Amino acid sequence: MALLEIKDLHAGVEGIPILKGINLTIDPGEVHAVMGPNGSGKSTLSNVLAGHEAYKVTRGEILFGGKDLQELAAHERACAGLFLAFQYPVEIPGISNMYFLKAAVNAVREYRGEEPLDAMDFIELVEAKKSVMKIRDELLARAVNSGFSGGEKKRNEIFQMAMLEPTLGILDETDSGLDIDALKIVADGVNALRSPDRGFLVITHYQRLLDYIIPDHVHVMVHGRIVKSGGKELALELEDEGYASWNGEEGL
Amino acid sequence: MSLDSIIERYRNRAVADEPAWLKAMRDAAIADFERLGFPTSKEELWRFTNVTPLAEQRFEAASNGWKTDVRDFQGLETVRIAFVNGIFSAEHSHLEALPDGATIQSLTAVLSEDPVRLQGRLGELADAGSNAFVAANTALFADGAYIELAEGVVLDAPIHLLFMAGDGDEPFAVHTRNLIVGGKNSRATVVEHYIGAAGIAYWTNAVTEVFADQGAQLDHYKIQQESGRAYHFQTLEVSQQAGSRFTNHAVTFGSVLGRDDIRCNLGGEAVESVCNGLYLLTDGQHFDTHTFIDHEKPNCNSHELYKGILNKKAHAVFCGRIMVRPDAQKTDAVQSNKNLLLSRGAKVNSLPQLEIYADDVKCTHGATIGELSDESLFYLQTRGISRGRARSLLTYAFANEVLDAMPCAAVKDYVEELMLAWLQSEAEA
Repeated sequence: MALLEIKDLHAGVEGIPILKGINLTIDPGEVHAVMGPNGSGKSTLSNVLAGHEAYKVTRGEILFGGKDLQELAAHERACAGLFLAFQYPVEIPGISNMYFLKAAVNAVREYRGEEPLDAMDFIELVEAKKSVMKIRDELLARAVNSGFSGGEKKRNEIFQMAMLEPTLGILDETDSGLDIDALKIVADGVNALRSPDRGFLVITHYQRLLDYIIPDHVHVMVHGRIVKSGGKELALELEDEGYASWNGEEGL
Repeated sequence: MSLDSIIERYRNRAVADEPAWLKAMRDAAIADFERLGFPTSKEELWRFTNVTPLAEQRFEAASNGWKTDVRDFQGLETVRIAFVNGIFSAEHSHLEALPDGATIQSLTAVLSEDPVRLQGRLGELADAGSNAFVAANTALFADGAYIELAEGVVLDAPIHLLFMAGDGDEPFAVHTRNLIVGGKNSRATVVEHYIGAAGIAYWTNAVTEVFADQGAQLDHYKIQQESGRAYHFQTLEVSQQAGSRFTNHAVTFGSVLGRDDIRCNLGGEAVESVCNGLYLLTDGQHFDTHTFIDHEKPNCNSHELYKGILNKKAHAVFCGRIMVRPDAQKTDAVQSNKNLLLSRGAKVNSLPQLEIYADDVKCTHGATIGELSDESLFYLQTRGISRGRARSLLTYAFANEVLDAMPCAAVKDYVEELMLAWLQSEAEA
């Protein structure tokens, strides 16, 4: 069964249509990249999938592991195994990263009918996951994303993904604002999570990230539609030609 | 009418064997009270707080009883002076482990044994002539805590001042009077803790006067857990000498109608003054905080952080006045009042007031009133946390800044526990 099946998806925000008929199927183990110019609807797609209430689906269907995703509230989607790494992770002063992670991990466990992790087990889990993302203890003690650099925020997103072990990871322009070192760490973190039963949807503006996270499929999104799909070589074509030929205007 | 009944209670009271100066002070205070009456909303300082329900209530004398078990306040049991309905309770007090030079006694005990210690201190800061609540308290106080630290005395364990209200069939009034004298370079933590049995109606009218002599460091807390039908009014008056540091952390959960009047006089150089507060209000609760930070001398810092969380039809008032007198050059004063509204029915009036008469000073103030951010809620939800739990977590996060600033771990832990219980019950309601 497909991990994610998007059929003729139409969606918008505040009555403005943005997605105009998206079709996309992700099988377990696959990495799909969605590329497109600014304003093409890439972030709308990730917000719709994650269940942001401001984004309304007007037509079409999204199946996640065969279940109708729209039946689930945002937190239920996360508990069911969908993870969104934010383009702009939200700062939450007043809650430490550790406290937040524990609340998240145990919320997911509770949803799955598992016992909550106690303090010791939780710390063990953190220790096991933190090294790949080069997360220092100091970062864990600090308030969630508060005063984090751009790179720290994105590393923290992937670290959260590693802790929650989703079946589908959506990366919304995770590469934006990253220097090459931070980009490599993020890519290493994602690659470490690749497995035969886990899929990824990597949304990006640039080809650069895809040098490190090699996709199985690449889709070009323009004006709310997927206009071309292909293998990883499509990303390189885009790098050379830009989006202009689909966009009807200047691309990159 | 409560005004008449208060005056009547004063005239009919059993005249205690008190020193002449105190009798004269009480006589003057009841005259002040009669002249002032309860404040009305026509007065500038009472524009947003209507005390009519209190003014129209008749209060009986408190009976002496507490039927509920006193729970163990972890970390606060070492040094405790307890009062039940305003009267000292030896049974609930622990005053054995005091170092030399530290005096902790009930005010009545000091009055009967060594009243001269109070003379020139008691009533020196709290002005009955301009404040009806202070006037009523001065005329009628029966007891309270007296703390005196001699020069250089350091007390590590927090001093727990426990005021319990309970067992009243009729509404009753408790006029509590506390006096705290920190000698030169002394150091202590004082926790005023007001707790009421559920559902009983009473009026706590407390006055606390604090003297911080040169170099003294006093951390003062107030945890207000009065019953939901109680009226709670307190005047806190602080006088600071050069090089002293005073911090106040007031946390309010209880009372249907209440007010804190806090005044810090920075009367020496290089004084540091911190006034923080957190009020968590719900239903029809109304709580008012008035602070007055009075910078008299140069090179002093004051810092205020007040945060409010309001649910349902709660109403909070914050009025923070900072005065920088002509001599107070190099003053650094910061004031911040932030409020989080959890429902549309809740209301806040926030009024910063700066009066600056010196030219080389740094003064900032800010007030915010807001709701939980949808983007933050969504972020938590995408991590598996339900919307309700996300609301609680973000509310907790909002309040945490005040908790984090508390130097006493025992108080911080206790308040955190209360706050989590409050969030839980608000989420369920």
